[in-house]
Amino acid sequence: MNPALSQQLRNLAGLGVGLVAFMFYAVYFSPTQGWVFFFQLTVNGIILGSIYALIALGYSMVYGILKLLNFAHGDVYMIGSFIGFGVLTLLGGPLSPAIPVALLVLCMFVVAMLGSGFLGLAIERFAYRPLRDAPRIAPLISALGVAFFLENSALLLFGSQYRNYDGYDLISYNGIHIGGDSGVFIQYLGVIVIVGAVLLMLALLGLVRWTRLGKAMRAVSFDREGAAMMGIDPDRVIAATFFIGSALAGAAGVMFGLLFSQIYYLIGFLAGLKGFTAAVVGGIGSIPGAMLGGLLVGLIESWAKGYLNGNVSDLVVFGILIGVMLVRPSGLLGTPALQKV
Amino acid sequence: MRKYVVAALAAAGVAALATAAFGSTSSPNRANAPASAGTASVACGKTRTIGLAAPITGPAAAIGNQQVRWAKYYVKRWNAQKANKNKQIKVVPGDTQLGVDTAFAVKVAKSFASNSKLLGVVGPAGSQEVVASTSSYKGGGLGFVSGSATRTTLTDGHTDGNRHGFFFRTVPNDGAQAPVVANWMTKKLKWKRVYIIDDQETYSQGLADGVQKILNSRGVNTTRDSISQTDSDFSSKIAKIPGNTQGIYIPWQLAPQAQAFGQQLQAAGKGHIKLFGSDGLFAPGVWKIAGSYDSAFPYNPKDPIVTSYIKAHKGNGEFFGLPSYVAAQVVVGAVTKACADGKATRAEVRKDIAKTKLKTTILGFPLSFAASGEMHAPATFGVFQIQKNGSFSRIG
Repeated sequence: MNPALSQQLRNLAGLGVGLVAFMFYAVYFSPTQGWVFFFQLTVNGIILGSIYALIALGYSMVYGILKLLNFAHGDVYMIGSFIGFGVLTLLGGPLSPAIPVALLVLCMFVVAMLGSGFLGLAIERFAYRPLRDAPRIAPLISALGVAFFLENSALLLFGSQYRNYDGYDLISYNGIHIGGDSGVFIQYLGVIVIVGAVLLMLALLGLVRWTRLGKAMRAVSFDREGAAMMGIDPDRVIAATFFIGSALAGAAGVMFGLLFSQIYYLIGFLAGLKGFTAAVVGGIGSIPGAMLGGLLVGLIESWAKGYLNGNVSDLVVFGILIGVMLVRPSGLLGTPALQKV
Repeated sequence: MRKYVVAALAAAGVAALATAAFGSTSSPNRANAPASAGTASVACGKTRTIGLAAPITGPAAAIGNQQVRWAKYYVKRWNAQKANKNKQIKVVPGDTQLGVDTAFAVKVAKSFASNSKLLGVVGPAGSQEVVASTSSYKGGGLGFVSGSATRTTLTDGHTDGNRHGFFFRTVPNDGAQAPVVANWMTKKLKWKRVYIIDDQETYSQGLADGVQKILNSRGVNTTRDSISQTDSDFSSKIAKIPGNTQGIYIPWQLAPQAQAFGQQLQAAGKGHIKLFGSDGLFAPGVWKIAGSYDSAFPYNPKDPIVTSYIKAHKGNGEFFGLPSYVAAQVVVGAVTKACADGKATRAEVRKDIAKTKLKTTILGFPLSFAASGEMHAPATFGVFQIQKNGSFSRIG
C-alpha cells in the first residue's frame, strides 16, 4: 500500500478511536451526562463545522496551488456575508420578502458567491500575482495587508454597527426532533446549512477530479513549470482557484448570517483563523482534509462550549491545533513534502 | 576596522535607545512634567478643544460609535447656537479599541494629555480603560467624564486607584442597577431558577456578580456561564440551559448579540425562558425578543432632544450613548465657564466639572457630582418589557 495512504488511514483510525473514547467519557463521566446532550452538541458541531469546512477549502486550495497562506480569505467570507445581507435587504428583508423565500435564499447565495469570487480574483490579480516570483514572505505580508484593507473598507462602507439577518424569521424556527420531543433537535436552517455545504463540497470534489480545469489545477499544484510546458496557463488556473475558493467563502458567509444572525466588519478574523486551523489540522493542501478539519474544529468547539463552563472553546480548539502539529506536522490527511536529496 | 566601526555605532545606537527608554519610564521629573500642564494657561480664542475617547473601531465599535454620535450631537447643537458663535467647540476623537487592549486607551490618554489645546475629555468607555489611563489623564491634569464606565470601585478612592477630582461619570454605577434587577426577579417575577451569562467584559461581570450575590442570598438557584462579545453561535451554550429555567440574565452591551441569542434560544425550543437584560441592551428595534425584560434609565422618550436624535438617525435611538451626550454637556459647560476670562487651565476646567449643576438632563434626572465623581442621587433604574412591535414599555 502507498505509504502516504497507509499513514492517512492510521491517522483516521487514531482519530476514530479518540472520538469514540471521548464520546463514552463525555456521556458517562462528565457532570452533564446523557446521550441526548452529547448528540445535540454533536449536531450543533456538525452545522458549525460545515461552515468552517467551506472556509478551510479556500485556504487549502490556494495553499495547494501557490503555497501561499491567504490571510485575506476570512475577510472575503465577511464581505460575502455582507453581500448576502444586501440582497436580503434589497429584496424586502426577512419579514416581508418580495419574492418566494426559497428564491430569495438562492439569490443571496448566488450573488454572494459571485461577488466573493470576483473579489478573490481581484485580490489575486492585484495583490498576489505581481509577487509571484518574490520571496515567500512578500505575498504573506501582502495577504495581511489585504486583510486589513478589506476590514477597514468594510468599516467605512457598512459602518461599525451589527446587522441582523434574522434568518429564523425568514425561514423557520421549526425543525426536526430525533428521538421524540426530548430528543435531539435540528432546525430546518441547520439542515439547509449541512445539505448546502455537502453539495458544494461534492461539487468541488467532482470539479477537481473529473473536469479539465480540475486536472489543470492538480497539474499546476504538482509542478507549475511543468504544467506550463504542457500548455496549461498557470495564471488562469490560479485565478480560477481563487475564484472558486472565494465563492465557497461567500457561501459560508451567507450560511453564517442565516444561522447566527449577526454580522459585522470583524467577523472574518476569528472565522478565518478557525478555517485556517481546520485546513492545517486536516492537512493543508488536501481538499478532503479541509472538510474533515472543518468538521473537527466545529465539533471540538461545540463540545468545549457544552461541557466546559466559561468561554474556553478557542483555547481548546487552538490547543488541539498545537497538539496535532506536534504529533502529525502534515495534518491528518496531508502528505509529508518529499525532499530532493 | 570597518567591523569595529559598525559595532561601535551599533553599540552607541543601543545605548542611546536604552537611555531614551529608561529616561521615558523612570524619570520622576518626566512623569510629573505633564502635571504642570494642568495649571498651564491656554488662550481660549473662538474655538475650544475637547477630547472624545471611545472605541471607534474594534469589537465594541458598535456601541462606541453610539457614544461618539451622541457626544458630537451635543457639540453640534452647541455650535449651532448663535450665542455660542465665539465659543465654538472642536472635538478631537481618540480610538480606544475597547476589548482589544487597554494600551490603546492609554495611548489616547497620552496624546490628549500632550495636546496643549485640549481642556477636558469625554470618555473613556470601559472601566478597565479608566483604570489603565487614569495616570496619563492625571499626569496631564485633565478631567475626564465617562458615560459608560460603571465599575463601582472606580470612585472609592483606593481599590482601583484614586482619581478623585479628575474622574466623573454620568452613568449610575453597577451597585445601583443590580438590586433593581434582583428585586424584580425575586419579588415581581418570583423566579427560583436563574441562569446568568456574562460577556466577560468588566461591565458585564460586575453586574452579573452583583445580581448573582443578591439572588443567592435569597435562596434562588443560580447557574453562571459566559460568552464573549465576538461569539455568534450560542447553540451549545443554550443546549446546557435546563428547560425548567425561569429566566436568563444577560447583562451584555451588544443588543444584536442579545437578539441573536434570543432567536437561537427560540429555535432550540426554549423560547419559554424569559431574558432579562441590562442598560447596555436598551436598544428598541434592535433587541426585539417580545416579553424580555430590561433595566435602564427612566429617560424621557418624548424629550425633544431624544426625538430629534432618533429622527436624524433613521429611527435608531442608540440609547447606550445617551450618557455620553450628558458627559459632553458637562465638559463643554465646564470649558466654557473656565474660558469666561478668555483663558483657562485644565485645573479650572476640572473644578468647574466638579461644580456642575444641571437642573434637567435627557437622562431624566438632574445632575451634580459628589467629591468621588459619582452623580448625586441619580434616579433609580427602571424596568422595561419588550413589546411585540419591538418597543420597550416601562413596567416598573
